[in-house]
Amino acid sequence: MKKTRLLLILFLASALLCVFADNVFAAVGCDLNDPDRDVKRLFPVSTGYKTEYLSIDKLGGQSLLKEVETRLGDNFQGLYETIDVPYTVYTIYKGKETIGYIHGINQKGTYGGLQVFLGYDTRGNITNFYYQKLTSKASDMRSSGFAKQFVGLSLSDFKDYDPKTGKSGNQRVTAIKNPNTESAADFNSTLRAVKKNLILMDIFVFNKKEAGK
Amino acid sequence: MNIFQVSYKNLLRRRLRTMFTIIGIMLSAWVLVTLLGFNKGYENSLNENIENMGFQVVLTAKGCPYEAATLMLKGGTGLRYMPENMVKDVAGKPEIANAAPMLMHAVFDPNKGESGGTTVFLGVDPNTYPSMKPYLKFNNEKGAWFSDKAKEVVLGFEAAELEQREVGDLMMLPGSEDEYTVTGVLSRTGTQDDGMIFLPLKTAQSAFKKEGELTMLGMRLNQDVDASAFEEELYKLPDVQVVSMAQVKNTIMSLVSSAKVIVLSIAFIAFLIAMFGVLNTVLMSVFERYQEIGILKSMGALPKDIFKMILIETTLLCSIGGVLGILFSFLFSGISEMAIRYFLPFAPQGALIAIDTKTVIFSFISITAIGIIGGVYPSLRAANIRPLDSIRSE
Repeated sequence: MKKTRLLLILFLASALLCVFADNVFAAVGCDLNDPDRDVKRLFPVSTGYKTEYLSIDKLGGQSLLKEVETRLGDNFQGLYETIDVPYTVYTIYKGKETIGYIHGINQKGTYGGLQVFLGYDTRGNITNFYYQKLTSKASDMRSSGFAKQFVGLSLSDFKDYDPKTGKSGNQRVTAIKNPNTESAADFNSTLRAVKKNLILMDIFVFNKKEAGK
Repeated sequence: MNIFQVSYKNLLRRRLRTMFTIIGIMLSAWVLVTLLGFNKGYENSLNENIENMGFQVVLTAKGCPYEAATLMLKGGTGLRYMPENMVKDVAGKPEIANAAPMLMHAVFDPNKGESGGTTVFLGVDPNTYPSMKPYLKFNNEKGAWFSDKAKEVVLGFEAAELEQREVGDLMMLPGSEDEYTVTGVLSRTGTQDDGMIFLPLKTAQSAFKKEGELTMLGMRLNQDVDASAFEEELYKLPDVQVVSMAQVKNTIMSLVSSAKVIVLSIAFIAFLIAMFGVLNTVLMSVFERYQEIGILKSMGALPKDIFKMILIETTLLCSIGGVLGILFSFLFSGISEMAIRYFLPFAPQGALIAIDTKTVIFSFISITAIGIIGGVYPSLRAANIRPLDSIRSE
């Protein structure tokens, strides 16, 4: 009898899910355009990867959003930066060993959306910085020289960085040079995107892993 | 206890068999309703998609007609151009109620991804295009169409999401440092317009260095105009081709008709499966109750009573299975639709499975009726059982 009831509940739950699934429009996420190629480019020694979709909404709801905003030092903005945005985390493998992660976020820029992807080692240090999309007058922000400035940085470096003012952060963050001083807004947006990316990865992967130890 | 209650109790005595029979009928009903719903939904969505294009006739530069149809259905790049002057002459004809000149242009954006990507822009006349597509609405009250020649853009819903733009934000076209202001973001329409970036026609012509050229002219005709005769007249123009929605619709509908035959054949097979399933189950149940039926007859039950009892059992099985199948087809139409979209090379926007009252009533009646037909033979066999033979049998 209990089994029948359980089956009935499961059936009704899945049925309701199917009925309402059509009415839900998910917020826009940030995926690699060509994951096979991009993973190989960012992690040349990788042999495979796993894709996971996570969201603040599902992981902790409003309280987690508040935590992210407090750590970021800025509120989520506008129509497109919302609690239900699906974030894609790529876990990179060499054989069976995890060698790193890739995670990207959307950020509003002056002339269009920025898509900032970071490659991480297993300890949460940045190994790669990659603009998948950038519409800016400062095209030199796509240069490898600019990207290299982020390599080796971690969340602790950005802890005090204030995205609202574009100031603070430790020496390694303040040392990041804007290649085009006319596009300060896009430079600041990029730093905000990097800090947000680091915070989210700490929640999605690194903190979780620490807790599991 | 009346005969209906006896039949009902008989079904409850063999719960497992009853359940499996109902599941079999339910699956057949589910398949039938889903297929009939798909038949209707696909056609409706296709019609709606074609109507939503807002144009009755489209004039494009000469090329492959399917290329033109694809251009309208899926969006894409205009590979050939028409002189604007010639198009203006056409737009001025008395048969035309409204004409919208357009310039579609795809620009390679080196800042999209590692090796760049393509962005599609549509230059439109703000005085004619919006009235041709009345379903295009802005997602907030601040939104408005741009003015002619201005450096302004209107974004489709998905284009705005990708670019993270809101009304008042700035944008740049790939390869240019000119600033454009977003004057509106459109609500989601479920059409190719969702991914489009619209800008004033004159601005587009100047920005893409296509002055005096157009990709398409979309037209709506006056009500009393003979569309076929008008199209024939347009065919006389040099180096252009005419694509009418009637043509596109007829071509696609003839393809859909072929698919319909297959779909209806599968539905017919579902019918047969249901019928033979019922026949087999009820017949088995009659054989199992051979002695019991004999005893009933020896106690005074008439052949017609036995016939009724078995037929009521069959009807109950079929109607319960039919109702459950219909319920399932409603509940899982979302999943069925997802599967269809995954496998079909072209699926129009909108609901692909449209289950209406007619489909439900037809399916229920036909599944029940076909089940009852399947139950007639076992009922006759049961009615003809001789009490002495049955009691003698082991």
